[in-house]
Amino acid sequence: MTALQHGRVSIELHELRAGTGPALLCLHALGGSGGDFARAAALWPGRVCAIDFAGHGRSARLRGGGYHPEMLAGDADAALAHMGAAHLVGVGLGAYVALLLAGGRPELVPGALLLPGAGLEGGGVAPDSTNDTRAFWNDLAPPLPGCDPAVRRLERDLRPPDYAAAFALAARRLLLAEDDAPRPPWWQAALESPSATRAPADLALALEMLAN
Amino acid sequence: MPTPGAACYPTGPVDEPRYPDAVAPERREFFASDGVRLRVDEWGDPAAPPLVMLHGAFDHGRGFDLLAPHLAERYRVLSLTSRGHGDSEWVDVYAWPSDVSDAINLLRSLGRPAHLLGHSRGGGQAMDAASWAPECVRQVVNIDGFGPPPEGFAPPGSKPDPRPIPARFGDYLDRRRNAARRAWRPYPSLDDLVERRRAQNPRLSREWLRYFLYHGAREVEGGWVWKTDPEFAGGFGPWRPEWIAPGWRRLRAPLLAMTGSEPDTWRLADAVVAERLSNVARVERSEIAGAGHFVHMERPRETAARILEFLER
Repeated sequence: MTALQHGRVSIELHELRAGTGPALLCLHALGGSGGDFARAAALWPGRVCAIDFAGHGRSARLRGGGYHPEMLAGDADAALAHMGAAHLVGVGLGAYVALLLAGGRPELVPGALLLPGAGLEGGGVAPDSTNDTRAFWNDLAPPLPGCDPAVRRLERDLRPPDYAAAFALAARRLLLAEDDAPRPPWWQAALESPSATRAPADLALALEMLAN
Repeated sequence: MPTPGAACYPTGPVDEPRYPDAVAPERREFFASDGVRLRVDEWGDPAAPPLVMLHGAFDHGRGFDLLAPHLAERYRVLSLTSRGHGDSEWVDVYAWPSDVSDAINLLRSLGRPAHLLGHSRGGGQAMDAASWAPECVRQVVNIDGFGPPPEGFAPPGSKPDPRPIPARFGDYLDRRRNAARRAWRPYPSLDDLVERRRAQNPRLSREWLRYFLYHGAREVEGGWVWKTDPEFAGGFGPWRPEWIAPGWRRLRAPLLAMTGSEPDTWRLADAVVAERLSNVARVERSEIAGAGHFVHMERPRETAARILEFLER
């Protein structure tokens, strides 16, 4: 394992599989870690790396919190700086981060596969003025196992559809894994982009689609 | 024998400046909020009703040295210096909710409801803290902290960036790649730093800025640098100005909404302020004649009189 530097914090990079051919960077769900991708690594034809996002796994905890998806995209971008260009696969929170990174770094991300999982939804599309915001203050307990308690703030970040759509439009290729379960508005907006295609929910089939 | 490093400081040591009517805090403490060390400056009787003050972006808690002594005649005044500013600790990532949480942590530590005052960014955060922790806040004073204009937020003199959001996010990622190495370029002297700030805030006198910035800057090899973390303003997200006012519908505490009468940087159009304030249940509007954005620095006596009148009603 390799420690990468993102800003002032250390991010853990898992080298899951060596290989030539297209590289794959795996972005885990809220509360997950880079160790969640053994199956993806076995299925992918080239090199496979994964990171632990800040506050998760073996990566550093942010002093004083402040977790948000754009910052986690910076964690993943530190991995791209280390690896070079790579396809992305993201699960849940990692899927949203993959969308941001695919739109912000199109020159380094030929394609991204977005899968459902923990932290997919975020806190909605806009502030809810009828909701009691004291929940925002109180919702950090219980902590997710193995994580900084403050990462639960990532359950509340707002994800407007037009913001997601702009990133989808800038991305080169997005595959969004669909099944019968509902998807949040940001996902639906990304799916309408010319760069986006529906992908099968089966991981092997979806990764095969990404590789080709 | 020459003093080591003496050649680096051609202007010689700088004495702590004085400024008429500015009163240094009577007590200076550190407060730990979510593991971050934050400076709290205090004036007044520790047994008096508490009044917590939050400063604006790139400022620090000593910016209240002119206002606090007036309020301290009736209140225990606590000025919190936010993370990454002044003598408070730097953190890894800056986010608005973290600052609001810090304010709420301080309010909760007092053991009784407090009055809450903020200027500019601190004014907006005071509104949010009072909304999120209503049991902690008796009344709110917001000094010209009503958010950026509807068209968005750009530093004075800069042009709006017409590129799509993802391209600007690419710039953010570039900045993050270099974040660990970023540092302020030193100004040759404290006076140079004062001139830089004065160009941005011409309504503030050199004499006052020298007093204020002495506490907001430090001497290093090669000159003077801001104490504010250079990473402080480098965030990115989907936030938009139209999200401000709906959140204010939750504010239950009475609000005194203050601005200066003079046009200034960060000063919103009156119609925008009025429209946003229409979301607040109990609000009193106050305009201080002859002041710009830094109402409490430009007209501290008049500002204090109006605040005391509001708080003691």
